[in-house]
Amino acid sequence: MTLTAFSPPPPGTDFDDLRQEVRTFLAEELADFPPEKRAKSWNGFSRDFSRKLAQRGWVGMTFPKEYGGHARNALERYVVSEELLAAGAPVISHWIADRQSGPLILAKGTDDQKRRIVPRIAAGELCFCIGMSEPDSGSDLAATRTMATEVEGGFRINGTKVWTTYAHVADYMILFCRTGKSDDRHGGMSQFLVDLKATDNIQITPIIDLSGEHHFNQVVFDDTFLPSDALLGEKGEGWSQVMSELAFERSGPERFLSSFALIEELIRLLRDDATEAQQAEIGRLSAHLMVLRQMSRSVAGMLNEGENPSLQAAIVKDLGALFEKDIPRLARSLVSRPAVPGGSDSYAAVLAYTELAVPSFSLRGGTREILRGIIARGLGLR
Amino acid sequence: MESMIHDMAERLFRDHVTHRMREDAASGQCPEALWTQIEEAGLTMALVPEDAGGFGVPPAEALGLLRIAGAHGLPLPLAETLIANAVLATANMALPGGRLTIAEGEALRLEQRGKRVHASGHLTLVPFARWASLIVTIAVLDGTDHVLSLPVKVLNVAPAQDLAGMPRDDIKLDHTLAETDAVPLPRPMGGMRQLGALIRSLAAAGAMETILEMSIQYANDRVQFGRPIGKFQAIQHNLATMAGETAASRTAAEMAAGSYDTPAFALTVAAAKARAGEAAEKVGALAHQIHGAIGYTQEHALHHFTKRIWGWRDDFGTELDWTRELGRAALSSPHDTFWHFITDSAAKGAPA
Repeated sequence: MTLTAFSPPPPGTDFDDLRQEVRTFLAEELADFPPEKRAKSWNGFSRDFSRKLAQRGWVGMTFPKEYGGHARNALERYVVSEELLAAGAPVISHWIADRQSGPLILAKGTDDQKRRIVPRIAAGELCFCIGMSEPDSGSDLAATRTMATEVEGGFRINGTKVWTTYAHVADYMILFCRTGKSDDRHGGMSQFLVDLKATDNIQITPIIDLSGEHHFNQVVFDDTFLPSDALLGEKGEGWSQVMSELAFERSGPERFLSSFALIEELIRLLRDDATEAQQAEIGRLSAHLMVLRQMSRSVAGMLNEGENPSLQAAIVKDLGALFEKDIPRLARSLVSRPAVPGGSDSYAAVLAYTELAVPSFSLRGGTREILRGIIARGLGLR
Repeated sequence: MESMIHDMAERLFRDHVTHRMREDAASGQCPEALWTQIEEAGLTMALVPEDAGGFGVPPAEALGLLRIAGAHGLPLPLAETLIANAVLATANMALPGGRLTIAEGEALRLEQRGKRVHASGHLTLVPFARWASLIVTIAVLDGTDHVLSLPVKVLNVAPAQDLAGMPRDDIKLDHTLAETDAVPLPRPMGGMRQLGALIRSLAAAGAMETILEMSIQYANDRVQFGRPIGKFQAIQHNLATMAGETAASRTAAEMAAGSYDTPAFALTVAAAKARAGEAAEKVGALAHQIHGAIGYTQEHALHHFTKRIWGWRDDFGTELDWTRELGRAALSSPHDTFWHFITDSAAKGAPA
């Protein structure tokens, strides 16, 4: 059955030289970057780091050269992505733009949008956020209420977005909202490219998460004017445009490497004298990781061929979230050492950070329940 | 993957492997006629190099046959014969044709007696030994891997079976072998434990795909509370979980098959067998939960597949054996970080 077939990544796609270059770069750049900061995984923010990475040609790798990209393939990009994540590099400043907003603009944007925006993404200068969820529209994206009304020269936007990660520092938002009424639940939706630094009447307020960190925001649009050229893609085609982004969003290594700092800390403690039972648990973890990585690289290969493996991506994300959420439990079953937020013992600090982060892993990017529903539909349940 | 031999095998098994055949095989009856067809189709030679009589398909494609055999619950030693022929061919030994099997040789003691080799020890859980003419194994003599070809007719075979009722025989060995039946292996190709773990991982992936398909079909057909039970979210989520486990098992098994005869084989096969065993437990349990009481009967076909995937967990190393081995490799690796071990595991294999 095709849903359970993940064709192997094409041969010769290990890109050992590239991997070594990235490792050398990271060893230098992150020499003094402590484990408790690495534990933030792809939620770590550093414009400086993103710019340096871009200078090496590792942002916008798959974008065409005419837009400042490097015309490399999805599997080369994959090597860089997984090395960044495994090292716990602070990547969020460019991550979303590089992963999905840039490819979306390249696929659906006008020439002018492409020329204005994409080279700056590839330079690591632009941070993007995604304006999708709303107070009454979480998993049920089609319940979106934020409305863009067509006016002279553009649109007026009214509505509220929530859980908008890094909106408080982002340069642009890809806004998903209504542009019309439709009998079809999925019709009448559009996407806009919102310049957050140059648009009036947008109010961004923090939402602090349970660990005390500020990633989320509420973003209120109050009669906000967007010029006509802010429309991204076809008016009314927002739903299908969003759906095509999901395979990029759901299949990457960030869907199973979010707890990787804790894995490295755990292995460091066990390395010298592990019992047979501890060895077996680390072996099980290794098996899962090797297989998830193969599945995720397989999806990257399919994306590279221009396929739309959104169902396979949902499987990777579901299995990946189970894996990365399970790491604190595994650590506790092998090592008796209390979690201490901000503690001086790096294992204890990383465990504490990770335990407070894991509840979000099976929420963000589509909840487990939604993903399983998507997989079930793909299986042909009538 | 488009493959002529896969299509041929799929047709052959679909047309001939029946519930009745699996029942009869579980009560000791070997389906001879189907074996003849399998052999005439050349499937048992698929992993043998072209110059030794194979048809020169890539190993991963030849091994893909075993997933298809698993998907049909084939009650015959095709997988064992495929591996036995490949090992015999690698050692330039005669390929006798017919049903062959393989056994783990790690526990055997070999000693040189003049020009001949004497083998002693206890072979357990040897698949299909009583239906095979030869047991092929790999054991060490003076630090060198030797291929042994043990004629079943001179051995004392004590019958036993796995959870699915398939032969897993017990053999006490204390025999001096013919000169041509013990030959040094010219190059390492993984021990029989690894090769056996590979074939079981592939077969388990295929069987899990069938179990998943049967469960989807049942969920769509079975009506309770006025609607197909597949409309209930609890059932849908169980099926989605089964799909994830099945996909992971297939990916793992194909990753191992893709590294056959490369340095990455030892670690990828360990991962594949461990992953398949874990998935077998979940997939089997959820399939029975979805099927309800009817799936727990002898009459229903489901048990032939669930019992196979459960039984295969014990063939050629349990999950505990394989996870320990993988964990030892990870924890003793000279790599700076665990991550480097993981990236090398798929590409270059275990560090020296």
